[in-house]
Amino acid sequence: MASEQFLADYLPILVFLVIAAGLSCLMIVASLIVGKQRPDKEKLSAYECGFDAFDDARSKFDVRFYLVSILFIIFDLEIAFLFPWAVALKEIGAFGFWSMMAFLGVLTVGFIYEWKKGALEWE
Amino acid sequence: MMPVFSWASLSPALPELFLVMLGMVMVLAGLSQSEGAARSLCRVAIGGFALALMMLLGVNWDSAPVMNGMFVMDHFAGFMKLLILLGLMAAVALSVRYLEQEEIDRFEYPILIVFAGLGMMLMVSAHNLLAMYVGLELQSLSLYVLAAFRRNHSKSSEAGMKYFVLGALASGMLLFGASLVYGYTGALGFDAISHALAGGKAGAGLVIGLVFLLVGLAFKVSAVPFHMWTPDVYEGAPTSVTALFAIVPKIAAMGLLMRLLTEPFGSIMPEWQQVVWVLSLASMAVGAFAGLVQNNIKRLLAYSSIGNMGYALVGVAAGTASGMGAVILYLAIYMIMAAGTFGIVLSMRRGGRAYEDIEDLSGLSRTNPLMAWTLAFLMFSMSGIPPLAGFFGKLFIFQAAIASQFYVLAVLGVLCSVVAAYYYLRVIKVMFFDDPLDALDSDLGFSLRAVVFLSIAFVLFFIFSPDTLVETSRNAAAALFAG
Amino acid sequence: MEILAVFTPLLGFLLAFLFGKQMGDRGAQFVTCAGMSVAAFVSVVLFFDVVFDSDPRTIQLATWMTAGDFSVNWALRVDQLAAVMICVVNIVSACVHFYSIGYMAHDSCRARFMSYLSLFTFAMLMLVTSDNLLQLFFGWEGVGVASYLLIGFWNHKHSANAAAVKAFIVNRMGDFGLALGVMSAFVIFGSVQFDAMFEKAPELAEVNFMFMGHSVHALTLICLLLFIGACGKSAQLGLHTWLPDAMEGPTPVSALIHAATMVTAGVFLVARMSPVFEYAPFALEVVTVVGALTAFVAATIGLTQFDIKRVIAYSTMSQLGYMFFALGVSAYGAAIFHLMTHAFFKALLFLGAGSVIHAMSDEQDMRNMGGIWKLIPTTYVLMWIGSLALAGIPFFAGYYSKDIILESAFAAHSGAGEFAYWMGIAAALMTAFYSWRLIFMTFHGAPRADEHVMAHVHESPPVMISSLIILATGAIFAGALFYEPFVAGDTGGHEGLQIISHEIEIEREVEAPVVEEEHEENIWNRFGFWGESLKVLPEHDTLAAAHHVPEWVKLLPTFMGVLGIFLAWVLYIKRAGVATRIAAVAGPLHRLFFHKWYFDELYETLFVRNAWRIGRAFSLKGDKQIIDGYGPDGIAAWSQRVASGIGRLQTGCLYHYAFAMVAGLFGIVTWFFLRAGF
Repeated sequence: MASEQFLADYLPILVFLVIAAGLSCLMIVASLIVGKQRPDKEKLSAYECGFDAFDDARSKFDVRFYLVSILFIIFDLEIAFLFPWAVALKEIGAFGFWSMMAFLGVLTVGFIYEWKKGALEWE
Repeated sequence: MMPVFSWASLSPALPELFLVMLGMVMVLAGLSQSEGAARSLCRVAIGGFALALMMLLGVNWDSAPVMNGMFVMDHFAGFMKLLILLGLMAAVALSVRYLEQEEIDRFEYPILIVFAGLGMMLMVSAHNLLAMYVGLELQSLSLYVLAAFRRNHSKSSEAGMKYFVLGALASGMLLFGASLVYGYTGALGFDAISHALAGGKAGAGLVIGLVFLLVGLAFKVSAVPFHMWTPDVYEGAPTSVTALFAIVPKIAAMGLLMRLLTEPFGSIMPEWQQVVWVLSLASMAVGAFAGLVQNNIKRLLAYSSIGNMGYALVGVAAGTASGMGAVILYLAIYMIMAAGTFGIVLSMRRGGRAYEDIEDLSGLSRTNPLMAWTLAFLMFSMSGIPPLAGFFGKLFIFQAAIASQFYVLAVLGVLCSVVAAYYYLRVIKVMFFDDPLDALDSDLGFSLRAVVFLSIAFVLFFIFSPDTLVETSRNAAAALFAG
Repeated sequence: MEILAVFTPLLGFLLAFLFGKQMGDRGAQFVTCAGMSVAAFVSVVLFFDVVFDSDPRTIQLATWMTAGDFSVNWALRVDQLAAVMICVVNIVSACVHFYSIGYMAHDSCRARFMSYLSLFTFAMLMLVTSDNLLQLFFGWEGVGVASYLLIGFWNHKHSANAAAVKAFIVNRMGDFGLALGVMSAFVIFGSVQFDAMFEKAPELAEVNFMFMGHSVHALTLICLLLFIGACGKSAQLGLHTWLPDAMEGPTPVSALIHAATMVTAGVFLVARMSPVFEYAPFALEVVTVVGALTAFVAATIGLTQFDIKRVIAYSTMSQLGYMFFALGVSAYGAAIFHLMTHAFFKALLFLGAGSVIHAMSDEQDMRNMGGIWKLIPTTYVLMWIGSLALAGIPFFAGYYSKDIILESAFAAHSGAGEFAYWMGIAAALMTAFYSWRLIFMTFHGAPRADEHVMAHVHESPPVMISSLIILATGAIFAGALFYEPFVAGDTGGHEGLQIISHEIEIEREVEAPVVEEEHEENIWNRFGFWGESLKVLPEHDTLAAAHHVPEWVKLLPTFMGVLGIFLAWVLYIKRAGVATRIAAVAGPLHRLFFHKWYFDELYETLFVRNAWRIGRAFSLKGDKQIIDGYGPDGIAAWSQRVASGIGRLQTGCLYHYAFAMVAGLFGIVTWFFLRAGF
């Protein structure tokens, strides 16, 4: 009984999965039917962040890409933390508020550091 | 569950909070200052550690776990933090001049040490697998960067890279172990895990989880066979960083290991004792034998530290309060000896160039007798020759092992220390009986002299009042078994 | 006072040895000589104290060890026998110390030399003052060590090292016997304390002792074992080969250790143990025969040697033989008497020879000397005195002691005694002959040394000569002076003793001159003198009988002495060159004597080579291959291999390291699975 209840809780996810699968199938099929097909070499190659998917992995490329992506990830995660915090702010009260302020403070110091160090300038 | 919060509950973590603020301020200060920032920030770091030390002495060492049981400040944590802060101060003091000499005096250096120190202090106070992991990573990430701090130097970069990759692997294992433990006990807090384990026999999954956790930590204390990074990183990293590695992180990792094994997993002691037994013996043996063929003194000290962690693990394997007390004492003594030894390694410079081979010490007794005698006594102490401090460290360890009836381990440990004595004595032989080379540079700087002086004074005079330290480490260990 | 007499040499040794560098040679010489002077003076006072007051005593110093029934003390037993020995040792040693200042003046290690001399003296004093066999053994080994150090003192000389080793090893043989003797004495007596042993000896006279399935007379066994020890130290036939070689040491050492004191330790031991030996007649017979043979054989060898010190060494050996057969016929007093006179004249001869060697620029071969008597007249006269005393010419010291020994041997009326007497007479003839051969070859005739050496011949410095003169005084007067107390007196032992103790009481009450005279009378015979320190059973009292032997027995030794001198004069002065012809005619005999009866060669083939062979085998196979191979060297090599093996694992490749970690992890996990059977 309990387990059925437990499974029932996951029903919306199942529905969501079905809709998602159906929608993507629909989009692919529709484009096949509706769109004009004029393939060339560039169009047929897999898209992988600007790199050839089946090439030697040890190619040179600018380390600044990594820097930017890592800096991006940090602030990306910040946002990811901010969403639930914003939702639950009512319940966690002043402690929750100041906790996030401390977190943001730390991030800000980090941000100042990278700015001053010139990590944000491409050249 | 609604978290209950009061500002007062943060007070046991006062030193840590202070270090956080200090780190932030140092970042900003370092950015605003251009020339000589490293030197002044090193001073600030030493002062900050000293302040943190005072705060540490001020806080209550008997407080219950705070922050929802994430953080505990008991006698064990207190004493370990004391050692860590002292070690950090020594490490920074040893670095100041070296950074300038090697032209790596960037202001991030002391800041990284502050954050690493913060991580270490969190590790020994951690009372929850997640808190433990956060502390561990904070420390590790800082150390990875420090290992590669001389970034235009291939060996240093290699050291940093190796340390990072293998460290990541170890972290992965640790995290996996933690997830297994969570999966089988449904708890992350140490108290909760202990509660879940009480009475019942541990299942396979849980034991596997424990093994993974142990392996992750064994990497941090460089126990064999998870030691492979140690010689390469010790050799490649800037010597001042090697000194830091040898002096402090081992204490934190060993402290964490001890807490983890006794508090949450105390009830399945027979399970982990076997693992620790094997790790300990393997470390002692590899530390003793591999050191025999080393020529680079930093590599030699790497193997020495592997061996020494092996001896410390003997005490952990004993699994008793006296065993853990012996480990703490051993770590304290080892930390002090290592600080002195690295002080001398750091002063192995001729004409502004650093030398790292044992042969470079040839005939030191004639060119610089004071330094030669100091190193000789440190080496004697490391090899455990009475009446120097190192002897007592080993003595209490083996006493504890015998009290727990680990006879084989104790005997093999003593044999390994005989083998290891060879390479310590070899250093002495080179200094005293080989033909002298040119004299070493004599401008060592005050802070380095002070560290070496304090270290050798401790080594020589420990015998006259060993009680304080022995008692304190016993009390610290007793805290682990109080709960 | 006793402590002062015994421990000042130790103090001198410690100061000179430990601080020799700081205080320099002068300081070391001063310290040791001062120590010895004090000791010598005190020992003379002690001698009078003990002997004239008839006051033997034992001073307990400390407990050495206690194990079950076995308990040994450090003690100084100063009875009459010990007092005589202390006197002899300290006086001769003091003379030698002073002499050494001059003799060793050109040596670079004077402080070390002086300290060794003092060490020797201390060990010798411990030996003679011991009140138990174990402390005696301690002193015994102590003098052995000192002797070893001093023989090999010139350690840059290969021959000196070889001689030192030889002396030590040959002495080990004897010491082994002595150690066994001490152990068996403990088994039988239950104690090694002299008093306890002497008290029990009469009761145990008939006890037998099962040894390897044979029943052995217990006391005889003990005595023979102790006698083996005595043989080693006193160079009796069989274990004598080290003594001539020991002449490699500096001459003062030869005088002190290898003539006057250490070599007489065996004589002392037997005399000290006389209360036990008296109950072992067979052992006494052995002692007599061995002593007689030694006296004779050593004398024959002495005839043919050319090294001035070796001649005197063989003469020493021969004289020790006399002492031993005196002991063997229970004439202990006579033996100690001869020991004392011999100490004086033999030390004199050695130091005189040293003086000659010193004068001749370290030349020792008599064939390269000659014609120097006018150049060093004092030494010459002193050598004459020493030789006269040695040859037993009337009124010199040797005359009294040697004659009483020979008379006692004759008076023993036993086969062994008879044998000893005739051997002794023959040896006396030869002694006189080779002594004058020495004098004539050294001092008379044409100089055979080269001009360079002759030009340098000079009298020794006063510090050396004055020591010689003291010894010469002893060599002249000691015999006449001590004849009465040491050996005179007719009556049976025990009665005499009682009378004496009675007299002494009187003497103590009033110190009137009249009583003094009475007292003197009593002291001046052997019973009063020796008190209880020597014991002779009434039926063994040959000394009493010696006073009643036929007149020709008494005269024969003197006659032989004179004859020997005459013969030497004929052969080496009157008709020089005859000697070599005689030697050629009596070829085989001469060769036998000249090669010392082939003892060294015999030992070489029998023992030394075999010992080498066994030793070599053990060393190469046993020690190097098995013990070292699997022990230290093997383990060290193995460690190196293990180390380089582990070193090879450290490849530097990241993936190897990661692999090791993962392998370790899986190893542990697998082990858990297997063990728990999950």
